[in-house]
Amino acid sequence: MKILLVEDNERVTQFVVKGLQEAGHTVDHAGNGRDGMFLAASEPYDVIIMDRMLPGEIDGLAIIEVLRKAGKRTPILILSALSEVDDRIRGLRSGGDDYLTKPFAFGELLARLDALHRRAEGINTEAPLSVGDLHMDPLTRKVTRGSRPIALQPREFKLLEYLMRHAGQVVTRTMLLENVWDYHFDPQTNVVDVHISKLRQKIDAEFERPLLRTVRNAGYTVTADE
Amino acid sequence: MLRSSAVSLALGYIALGITALVLFAAPLWYAWQVTIQEGRIEILQVDAQRLAEVFRREGADGVRSFIDARVRMQIASERILLLTDESLHPLSGNLPVWPPDVPLVPGNYKVRMELGDQSTQMALVHVATLGNYHLLVGRDNALFAPLQTRFWYGLAAGIAVLSIAGLLIGLITRRALMSRVHSIRQTVSAIIHGDLKHRLPTHLNDDELNTLSRTINGMLEQIELLVHGVRNVSNSIAHDLRTPLAELRSRLEELALIRPSPEETFAEVDGAVADVDRVIRIFDALLRLAEIDAGMRRSGFVPLDISDLTANAVEFYAPAAELENIDLAAHSDGALTVSGDPVLLAQALSNLIDNALKYAPENGAINVTVRNRFDGSVEVSVSDNGPGISDSEKSKVMERFYRGDASRGTPGVGLGLSLAQAVAKLHGSTLELSDQNPGLRVAFLLPLEEPQTPAHAAVPQKSAAAEEAAPATLASG
Repeated sequence: MKILLVEDNERVTQFVVKGLQEAGHTVDHAGNGRDGMFLAASEPYDVIIMDRMLPGEIDGLAIIEVLRKAGKRTPILILSALSEVDDRIRGLRSGGDDYLTKPFAFGELLARLDALHRRAEGINTEAPLSVGDLHMDPLTRKVTRGSRPIALQPREFKLLEYLMRHAGQVVTRTMLLENVWDYHFDPQTNVVDVHISKLRQKIDAEFERPLLRTVRNAGYTVTADE
Repeated sequence: MLRSSAVSLALGYIALGITALVLFAAPLWYAWQVTIQEGRIEILQVDAQRLAEVFRREGADGVRSFIDARVRMQIASERILLLTDESLHPLSGNLPVWPPDVPLVPGNYKVRMELGDQSTQMALVHVATLGNYHLLVGRDNALFAPLQTRFWYGLAAGIAVLSIAGLLIGLITRRALMSRVHSIRQTVSAIIHGDLKHRLPTHLNDDELNTLSRTINGMLEQIELLVHGVRNVSNSIAHDLRTPLAELRSRLEELALIRPSPEETFAEVDGAVADVDRVIRIFDALLRLAEIDAGMRRSGFVPLDISDLTANAVEFYAPAAELENIDLAAHSDGALTVSGDPVLLAQALSNLIDNALKYAPENGAINVTVRNRFDGSVEVSVSDNGPGISDSEKSKVMERFYRGDASRGTPGVGLGLSLAQAVAKLHGSTLELSDQNPGLRVAFLLPLEEPQTPAHAAVPQKSAAAEEAAPATLASG
């Protein structure tokens, strides 16, 4: 992925740029609003990471608004130290696609960038999904592994569907909470893990190769790879 | 001193009083002047006419003897009379010469003239011509001068009394005000220096300052309460953040000191990140609490089906309850539309259920109930059959960071109930704790959306929103 990072804090920049490069991405960096606006408007990026509060006259939200008005559809992830619900709503309303509060775990950032990128590539919500021998038809809501049908409750179906749409990517607990349950808070306990293990019972327990795997310190992934 | 409100008010009143006095005196003065002048001229004219009558009947000699008699009769030189011939040679009267300022044309004049031994005086004269003779009939204005003087003195005295009394009252009021303001200022500066226990002095009467003082005292009461609360919270924050921060610090310091193998180092770093995450979690919870307490989240109020929201929360925790063999069940009186903040209500419910899960015994039961009270409100309650909370602990559990003895060794930062309480407060209710014997029941009320709206009307709206939300969620893939 070609990623633009607009961020003024040097430590955060160093941490993010290094991490993204290690994950195999190309990263451009702008340290203020004006450079950020210029790069975002002139270069083709797959994803933009935009700090909300920037030095200079232009802040992150203003840049996003200008880009959206100019017809740029590049997915944008807003980084912000403002964590209030209203701040989040304002950020998304300005045209941002996702909102991540500082401080954040790098795994969380990476997972969200992947999700944004894949979303931008366009998906067919009706097409059947497959990971290895696990198949899901979103229309008939049928799930099979190999030849065996798997009965899922609606929420389990939604959970699995989200995981399968992000097959091969890491999905964090927060992403699951936000997208499967629409919960924008931290429930403090490991409830998500319990849901996952229940789902795992249904799709993996009786099979030799597990598809739903835990990624340490990050989240989960559904993959057929070794 | 002119800036003193009492003095400037007094000055204003003085100016107003003087203006009123002058407005009263001016027409009086004018009327007096005009009336008297006209009256006098009339008298002089009548006098002159009488003399003219005498002249016509008895000729110049008659007039002369008439005037002489009149002059003789008069003690004071109130009346001025003079008859001269053509060449202004005085024939009779009490003036030695024809006054130079008085023309020989018939008419009324006001002139300054020498009158006998007296100095120059203002006099009103009427000039008439009788044949070849000139007649001057006049009156000395000085007669009325004392009256006029008295009028002016009276006016001046009035103004003086008004000014002095006004100023005195102003100064006295100022002193009285200053002494009270001074005592208020002393109290306030004591408060500024940090002693919030001080209160403004109040009296029994109900004047403006007293009313103000009472209002300010009420405000101080509230401020003291808030400051006390903030102090408590910051103490708790300090305490609760110190522990993970201390752990983190020693972990990192130890790492720097002993430089263990890379595997061990990585494990320690992971532990350090977990410590930081704990700090962040406490921070987030506190920020959320502060946000709710500030009452700013009212903007997020929408009509929502509380039964649906509750069912979702129960469903969310169901696997966790199952794992501990706890029977977690949702009960509701059907769809009930309330006005509320969905994010916060979900979080509050999640905290309550989470709490109940922590305390419910193995094979226990948790009931989450939504009940229409048919008084315009809906009661949401979460009850467990755990150990419950003793009465002495009930008030404490709402405090931030309070963790009962039973909670030792369980995860959490002790903010769950405070947050649920804050959310209940935001929705105009309060968290009510009661005994289940055994177990704890936590309940709060929510205002039902307009009763005339049938409850089922909200259902299609809700499901439409859900349908809208669903593809959006999927699209994020």
